[in-house]
Amino acid sequence: MIKFNLNGKDVEVNLDPSSRLLDVLRNHFNLTGPKEGCGEGECGACAVLVDGCIIHSCCFPLANVNEKEVVTIEGFSTTKRYQTLAQSMLEEGGSQCGICTPGMMIAAESLLNQNPKPTDEEIRIGISGNLCRCTGYNMIVKAIQLAAKKGDGLW
Amino acid sequence: MVKHVIPKNLQEALNCLYTSDYHVIAGGTDLMIQKRNTADLPPLFNFNMIYLFNLEELKYVIKEETQIRIGSMTSLETLLHHEDVPQLLKDVIKEMASPGIRNMATLAGNIANASPAGDSLVALYLLDALVVLSSVNQNRYLPIEKVIVGPRKTVIQNNELIKEIVIPINTFSKTSWVKVGGRLADAISKVSFAGAVTIEDDRITDFRIALGAVYMTVVRNRSIEKMYKKLSVDSFKKMTPNILDQYQELIKPIDDQRSNKAYRMQVALNIIKDFIDKI
Amino acid sequence: MKDISQSIPKEDHVEKVSGKSLYVSDIKMDHILYAKTVRSIHPKAKILNIEIPELPKDYFVIDYHDVPKENYVKMIFNDWPVFAEKQVNYIGEPIMLIVGKNKQIINEIIEKIKIKYQVLKPTFEYQSSVIHKSFKKGDIKKAFSKPFKTISYTYETGYQEQAYIEPQGFIVYPEADGKITLIGSIQCPYYVKNAVVNTLGCPDDKVRVIQPSVGGAFGGKEEFPSVMACQLAVAVHKIKQPIKMIFEREEDMENTTKRHPSKITLSAAVDKDYRILGLKAHVSLDSGAYIGLSGVVLARAMIASTSAYTIDHLDITGDVYETNTVPNGAFRGFGAPQMIFAIEMLIHHIAKDLNIDPFSLRLAHLAKQGDKTSTSGIFRDPIIMEKMIEKATEISSYHEKVKAYQDPQIWKGIGMSWFLHGCGFTGSGESTHINAKVKLRKDSNDHVYLLVAAVDMGQGAKTSLKKIVVQTLGCEAKNVSFDNPDTDYILDSGPTVASRTTMIVGGLLARAALKLKQTWVDGKEMEVIKQYQQPEYIKWDEEAMIGDAYPAYSWGVNIVEVEVSPVTYQTKVKGIWSVYDVGKAIDDRLVLGQADGGIAQGVAYGYLEVMKHEQGKLRQKTMTDYIIPTSVDMAKTETVIMENPYILGPYGAKGVGELTLVGGAPAVALAIEQAINKKIHKIPATPEYIMELIKS
Repeated sequence: MIKFNLNGKDVEVNLDPSSRLLDVLRNHFNLTGPKEGCGEGECGACAVLVDGCIIHSCCFPLANVNEKEVVTIEGFSTTKRYQTLAQSMLEEGGSQCGICTPGMMIAAESLLNQNPKPTDEEIRIGISGNLCRCTGYNMIVKAIQLAAKKGDGLW
Repeated sequence: MVKHVIPKNLQEALNCLYTSDYHVIAGGTDLMIQKRNTADLPPLFNFNMIYLFNLEELKYVIKEETQIRIGSMTSLETLLHHEDVPQLLKDVIKEMASPGIRNMATLAGNIANASPAGDSLVALYLLDALVVLSSVNQNRYLPIEKVIVGPRKTVIQNNELIKEIVIPINTFSKTSWVKVGGRLADAISKVSFAGAVTIEDDRITDFRIALGAVYMTVVRNRSIEKMYKKLSVDSFKKMTPNILDQYQELIKPIDDQRSNKAYRMQVALNIIKDFIDKI
Repeated sequence: MKDISQSIPKEDHVEKVSGKSLYVSDIKMDHILYAKTVRSIHPKAKILNIEIPELPKDYFVIDYHDVPKENYVKMIFNDWPVFAEKQVNYIGEPIMLIVGKNKQIINEIIEKIKIKYQVLKPTFEYQSSVIHKSFKKGDIKKAFSKPFKTISYTYETGYQEQAYIEPQGFIVYPEADGKITLIGSIQCPYYVKNAVVNTLGCPDDKVRVIQPSVGGAFGGKEEFPSVMACQLAVAVHKIKQPIKMIFEREEDMENTTKRHPSKITLSAAVDKDYRILGLKAHVSLDSGAYIGLSGVVLARAMIASTSAYTIDHLDITGDVYETNTVPNGAFRGFGAPQMIFAIEMLIHHIAKDLNIDPFSLRLAHLAKQGDKTSTSGIFRDPIIMEKMIEKATEISSYHEKVKAYQDPQIWKGIGMSWFLHGCGFTGSGESTHINAKVKLRKDSNDHVYLLVAAVDMGQGAKTSLKKIVVQTLGCEAKNVSFDNPDTDYILDSGPTVASRTTMIVGGLLARAALKLKQTWVDGKEMEVIKQYQQPEYIKWDEEAMIGDAYPAYSWGVNIVEVEVSPVTYQTKVKGIWSVYDVGKAIDDRLVLGQADGGIAQGVAYGYLEVMKHEQGKLRQKTMTDYIIPTSVDMAKTETVIMENPYILGPYGAKGVGELTLVGGAPAVALAIEQAINKKIHKIPATPEYIMELIKS
């Protein structure tokens, strides 16, 4: 039995502990935010927060979230930090097809959690594990920069 | 029926390994992908699994007088931001993978996976790291080059786990890390290089080179290094052609989907030369 | 009235940023079955025998025997089988589907399947031409009769994989009335529908295609989805149960279409005044095992042979070669990136060989309004390239840097490309092949619906097309809806390809909206339909390839600055500057977003993305091994949009989608060339290739 906190709620799952966390989130909990883009930890579409830090759920076993706090975009989207980031993404054009966007939001939150006033370079490193094929990244970087500025005090 | 154990403490983990055969898994970034099954299906482990990633007991960085002791389950991202971790190791970790993977990756995982292209291993070899292998009965302290014996091959016994990595404290005059990958993040190295030199009174008192992704294991040769200690910096630099010849003999790069022999060989030698030139 | 270019919030922003947007893999259905494809392991072989193990209850084999009508996938050239019959022609060619409830059991069944092959000798070289095209302009014999100099070079380009972050996939299910509905990650609802109708041999109204959110496509989901769709439709037709098939990344990369590798030989006849009198070109494209739409890719490549220049005498030929590799297909640019790379390198190589200034050589040949195009059409509309070039060189300090980086001790370089992109389907495609129709429907609450087949795959079509209608109607945005295309409700406005969506579909919607506005009656249900009419003066001879290949052209300038390491031969992109003429931006932010993304792909095509095969097996098939740029690899980009309204475009808009990719590769290749002081003839210009050049 694996027990953890998912998006603010305590949950218990009786599934194979070696299961990919991504599969548990999508199939058992019916979440759609974390996605499978590559299945090998490369693209970041599956990114979620575990104890506030970004991890790639496609190669993280369920056992490793035992007694941890897991937050997906569904949980994050209820926060004020999310509102600031989402608004900045809108203003800067950081989302085109949207498939990488939940992962990018998770990466941004993980970064700002640790470093509320990142430089451009630090932002690029912060999202370096999230591949985007549509935007060329610049508008996403600008959006996170804007969110850090507008969200002064949030992080 | 496959067993899955999430041990609450180190002793429980050691006892498990003593009583049955288990495969040890840390963050999962290597094993979950190597043993991958079709999407939605659990990985093809087909073995008892013991999950050590969340063993708090193995997450620490302790600075002692002459050495740094790193708990094997400390995430690479934690090491990257820890003040007591040697700068060279931080330089390596900074260019490894991505933040998400670094949050899941551990030195234990890197060592056990023993990839010929493993970046952190190059630093550990150069820094004369010791690996502490623990079992119920004993702790073995082995130099890293005695732990890894081939690609994906280690001497770790079935009843052992990697407990700690011990790195002697060094004050090099200069260290260098060069990673050559296909891109600037999320890249498996085509060639990697760690170099360190200590100069006192214009003499080389310590000189070390370690190369990754150009042989079955990390290349480090202390006999070559010894030959150049005590030389003056000028004399040392004059020996560059000899040094390059010697390392050229040691490395055996391959052709693969990432690069080719000729490139890896030439670039490895270029990097060594550049390091010496810049001393 | 507000300037339409002024950016507005993206229509689908909230759903995308919150993770609520449903892509095909997010859609769940009761009692769904899964399908997995059994594929050829040989590049060319006869299938002698197939042994299938005894299947558990409710597990099925679907193969060519189950195809009700046509075992080919309807696309431009009908040679792709739905399922291989007696022969396989590439590693990965689909032979059958195994369908069932449990993926583990499906895997076990597949492991027990025994296929007996008779291996045949595969072809991997440019040997068997299956399509040949040619056109001429002026008097090529005269141009080459007594030139001052003839300069010839051959250029090569490699594969490029679209690497959309959402892999391909479909859910296909039967309705009670025998209709089959398909939900898939697609660009062209009607390509899919028509292919399925053709393969099943069923009435048109028995197939319905619904587009969910699409996570990137770039051409990779233009024709390939029809292959999966036909296979799954055949399966659903047989077993009458819903099936979900989502590719994982490796299967997607190994088995879906990529950009055609090419080999282009160019020969220029130059007179003593350094005027390029004539150009001969031969374009070779590798189509892989099936032709598909390779003929059109070839046509576009050939037509792009003179890029942004006017050369009076041309002899352009091209061949599509079949090889026993995975079939190649559409990818943003569609033949133009290959050709623009070649011609831009040639112009520079001519200048280098003649020891003259490349910039002046280019400028002397820059196309002007009124000039004849490569296919003897006319550049009817104003061309503002001179202004664009001036702007681009100014914001990048191009001239100063070109001088400064001449020093071979400095491993820096700056490269520039000038290019155009024909907007809309090549040649007579819009009128003969597509015949786009759009519908606006107004309900009794005065709510207006856009009923078109245009797919928003990230480029913002949902936002831009709605914006055109809202602006024209002069109403509030909340009174207009553009829901994801569903073929039960929309009209076929054509595929979302060829940079036609804003200009052609948007153009039709603008006219429909105007008509609706003029005839508007409050509270009354109304409908306006508009159909594409080819402008009278656009005349195109498909056979001879003479006339106006496109109704309009968009133009661009890219400048890329690099630094190359003399130790590792790696290239670092330091800056990217672009200026584009897309007529008029329907939304500045959307166009700038397309510019950022397009140049990232174009530049990476030039120096970073490597895909090779060995005896028909692709060596790079994961996101680890196929290298696309990460955020750390991308340099700062600066883009300027310059207005040059096109009379027949909605609010003056022309095509956007592909323009921003086609010039990236030559710009970065020329920059690297300067940095290393060696001529580049191949892309991607990888560190390995750079080392080879330096050592030679």
